[in-house]
Amino acid sequence: MTTNADNSLEQELLFAIIKERYGHLLTDEQLESVRTAIVGQREVLRPIREYRLTNDVEPFSNFRPFRGD
Amino acid sequence: MGNSFIFKPIRELAGLIASREVSPVGLTQDFLDRLEEYGPHYNALVTLTADRALATARQAESELVAGRNRGLLHGIPWGAKDLLATSGGIPTTWGAAPFKDQQFDYDATVINRLEAAGAPLAGKLAMIELAGGMGYIHPDASLTGPPRNPWDTGRWTGGSSSGSGAAVAAGLVPFAIGSETWGSILIPANNCGLSGLRPTYGRVSRYGAMALCWTLDKLGPLCLTADDCGIVLEAIAGPDPLDGSTHAEPFTYNPSFNPGRRYRIGVPSGTLDEAADAVKENFEAAVEVLRDVADVEEMEFPEFPYVEITSVILMVESASAFEDFLAEGGPRELSAPGWHGRSPYARPAVLATDYIKALRLRRVMARQVDEALARYDAVAAPTAMNTATSIDQEFRSRSMTSAGAGDLMGSIGNGCGLPSISVPSGFDGDGLPTGIQFMARAYDENACLAIAREYQARTEWHRRHPGDLSQ
Repeated sequence: MTTNADNSLEQELLFAIIKERYGHLLTDEQLESVRTAIVGQREVLRPIREYRLTNDVEPFSNFRPFRGD
Repeated sequence: MGNSFIFKPIRELAGLIASREVSPVGLTQDFLDRLEEYGPHYNALVTLTADRALATARQAESELVAGRNRGLLHGIPWGAKDLLATSGGIPTTWGAAPFKDQQFDYDATVINRLEAAGAPLAGKLAMIELAGGMGYIHPDASLTGPPRNPWDTGRWTGGSSSGSGAAVAAGLVPFAIGSETWGSILIPANNCGLSGLRPTYGRVSRYGAMALCWTLDKLGPLCLTADDCGIVLEAIAGPDPLDGSTHAEPFTYNPSFNPGRRYRIGVPSGTLDEAADAVKENFEAAVEVLRDVADVEEMEFPEFPYVEITSVILMVESASAFEDFLAEGGPRELSAPGWHGRSPYARPAVLATDYIKALRLRRVMARQVDEALARYDAVAAPTAMNTATSIDQEFRSRSMTSAGAGDLMGSIGNGCGLPSISVPSGFDGDGLPTGIQFMARAYDENACLAIAREYQARTEWHRRHPGDLSQ
């Protein structure tokens, strides 16, 4: 179980990654917008992370091996 | 143009063409003139495709002379959201300034199929830039300016299939094709007083369409009636080797579909909680109308993080689809004035395990929702909680990527890939249309179309058009 402090650290680390990758493209104001959005994403992710799934539940996406003619 | 062909449903236009009372060339030229004259007034038009349209129309006409009629769309012009690839030097702008000169050397499957049905492509229609994929909260997020609603040009059409909505509502084309990742067909249908069908995911090939989210994107029609939607869907649906997501079975529209009993319609509990007064009143009146042919009861979807699951899928897939665009600073060239806490640059911060978890939860969600829907022919709800907002108004104060953004029907319908049709249900005190949607189980388009037809057979809302346009 993660704590609020862990969450906060995670958001800061994720923000640092984004800043490292894209910071040169963004103004300070836009970077602040990124930080706000990352905090918003934490709220979106919370119920997803909390939901327990059994090991056998696969992603709902289709992969088919390819073989050309 | 005498305007005698404006706002006529497809079946009626097809009858006029079949009886030779109107020619495909004449009809196409009339709509081209109208699109050229009024399209810019609503910021609805990107490119008029007159040469291409007239070539198709001339072919249709010569076939009629030779005794060949390809069907109900033979000679009926239409418009395409400008995210569908067109060859022949016609730009495909994706509604965004950085792509305003983009050209392809092939045509989207949907365009090929409609032209194969004899329908001339009259124009490429405006849209919210990149189908709203970079996040937008103002109607002016479009290469061609804020899309104006024909019911009140001070209001917007909804997005992102904005030009498709405006052009059909203004009688500039008999029908149009839009796309929906989350709300982009149903909301313009709601705001513009149209019938708009979001097909089952995989029902219509997306080959040649701009990809925003590979597992959410759908293409579908915006039309005057539910019957029109069925006619157009049959023409564009079906398997396509160029799009691996397409369903193997072809779709046959059944305009006589009847379950052989009264319809069963569920209404999700709490669906009116956040609705504006007019939306609520019109929805309740619509339900009363439907009781003529349907048993209507309150239902509940199981508790599940629907909004969050669909949001995560949208965030990650859109970030990947536009990875290079983001890395090159492309969003700086967009029209949207700012992101206000919904920056697309935050999306790559979603971890891969979270995305995969969302895809795993989607499997559970799809089964649970299908189980809940199995008792009904369709679930009914207001298409939107309010009518069209002002053209200069922020329309969504909360980020779609914030928890609680609240679009239950949209998150379920798009997350599970379910078909839904929105039809007009009345007007508010300002004369703006409201909508009701009917969402069905996967691949049950004929069921939701049938219910929408039954509703339209008992109401006149779909026969009303913006006052100054049919004169």
